[in-house]
Amino acid sequence: MDTYILAIESSCDETSVSIIKNGSVEISTVVLSQMDTHANYGGVVPEIASRMHIENITMVLEECLTKANMTMDDITAIAVTYGPGLIGSLLIGVMAAKTLAYIYNKPLVPVHHIAGHIYANNLVKEMQFPLIALVVSGGHTELVYMKDNYSFEFIGGTLDDAVGEAYDKVARVIGVSYPGGPNVDRLAYEGNDTYNLPLPLDDDSFNFSFSGLKSAVINLAHNEQQRGNEINKEDLACSFENRVVDILTKKTMRALQKYNVKNLVVAGGVSANRMLREKLTILCEKESINLTIPEIKYCTDNAAMIGAAGYFAYKLGRRADLTLNAKATDQLK
Amino acid sequence: MKSLFINTSTKKLVIAIIVDNEIKYIYNDDNSNELSGKIMPIIDEAFTKANLKPTDIDTLFVTNGPGSFTGIRIGLTIAKVMAWSLKIRVIPISSLELMASMGSDTQYIAPLIDARRDYVFAGLYDNELNSIIDDRHVLLDDFKNEVNNKDVTFVSHDDLGYIDSKYDLLKVINKHRHDEGVNPHELNPNYLKLTEAEEKFNEGR
Repeated sequence: MDTYILAIESSCDETSVSIIKNGSVEISTVVLSQMDTHANYGGVVPEIASRMHIENITMVLEECLTKANMTMDDITAIAVTYGPGLIGSLLIGVMAAKTLAYIYNKPLVPVHHIAGHIYANNLVKEMQFPLIALVVSGGHTELVYMKDNYSFEFIGGTLDDAVGEAYDKVARVIGVSYPGGPNVDRLAYEGNDTYNLPLPLDDDSFNFSFSGLKSAVINLAHNEQQRGNEINKEDLACSFENRVVDILTKKTMRALQKYNVKNLVVAGGVSANRMLREKLTILCEKESINLTIPEIKYCTDNAAMIGAAGYFAYKLGRRADLTLNAKATDQLK
Repeated sequence: MKSLFINTSTKKLVIAIIVDNEIKYIYNDDNSNELSGKIMPIIDEAFTKANLKPTDIDTLFVTNGPGSFTGIRIGLTIAKVMAWSLKIRVIPISSLELMASMGSDTQYIAPLIDARRDYVFAGLYDNELNSIIDDRHVLLDDFKNEVNNKDVTFVSHDDLGYIDSKYDLLKVINKHRHDEGVNPHELNPNYLKLTEAEEKFNEGR
């Protein structure tokens, strides 16, 4: 019998509902992004995000069911992102999911947001284990070893800024508008790697550090300004991006080698980064690594990935009861 | 009428099942901490104790603020999703009106919710729960000046030096039982206050 997961994601500034069949087939997804609103403030304002989630939640639910031509009776279980994320935003999704689970007497499946990003890859092609997941987003930079479904072994991560965070700060310094990451990526493509920036934390560990690189960009921009020199935004963006992508790919390829793993999945908002996608594609082809990167629409926050992750959690018997609470931070497990 | 009443806007959590003119079950809790974790089991217990199922009810009453922003949203998300999925009438009620339902010996009653920095959420009601002055976010001193020529009792759950408010649930229900209700998609919190980010943004314009 087919399993249909209705998934809800509201951890940051996207209200999203999706129906996923058997963990891999997207029946329908609705994503309502608040990005244009938050752009006015140069970043996500948590209270505004919460307000917009509650305004839209039932409309997004309805639209998703209508698009799927399904009713709640067709749904096997309800999956929801319980964390990590903005607590006020998460709460709307969690309360909505609990209410639906209660009214329709359906199993409630709690999903970790990062598990969702990783399982977005299962919507592209069936994930093969063991694998290494490179998780790169505004809040995460991690290498995770998975020997099977829902077995997450953390092998390295950022010691300071997440990669997306570093992108956003660099965007501010060189005067690129919100959302900074994608816009810096776009600029980088128009420039050349001319600035002498350090390769961050180039050691034998699987950890990352981006604060030094970030400071180097800030200092460089500041010094040039003092000297009355115009910085070349495109070239600076390109130089920055090259260092970031170099170290991410270098440590990822080494992790694959060390753990003797032939499967790599990339997850999180920064997996939309064009240079990262290109470089990993080339390197993995060379090393005969089975690489999966989600389509751009599954890289940013969406409920489809929660539905995919929710399916495997459901199959493994993971359940929450009506006391389920949102968590701002929580370890992937 | 078979109804569920939800109040998460004030410091006193109330979940009740009301059938016609009778309160079949009521849960009162002066401690609204850990609200998001405990509220659904309380609602479940309310239905069980009242020997009803969610699908049996035809009306939802829910306070939609003012009060704690997060608190309002917890109750209202439940009400929105319930009303939408059960296709039943949902009636929003001011949390200040709920506070005013205790009545007074004076002509008017003024419920107050501390909104910090000398501000309050305040309203003025008569003893039949008619709103005399619209609920608002206002400096406490300004509000007191506005009503100082009136025969009024101030009530509050907060440490503002006034008597605590108790709720007369049936009085509120009776006042609203014939309300048409709102479309669940349009059932939204009445914060009475912009976010700080919006206030600053507007000032900068």
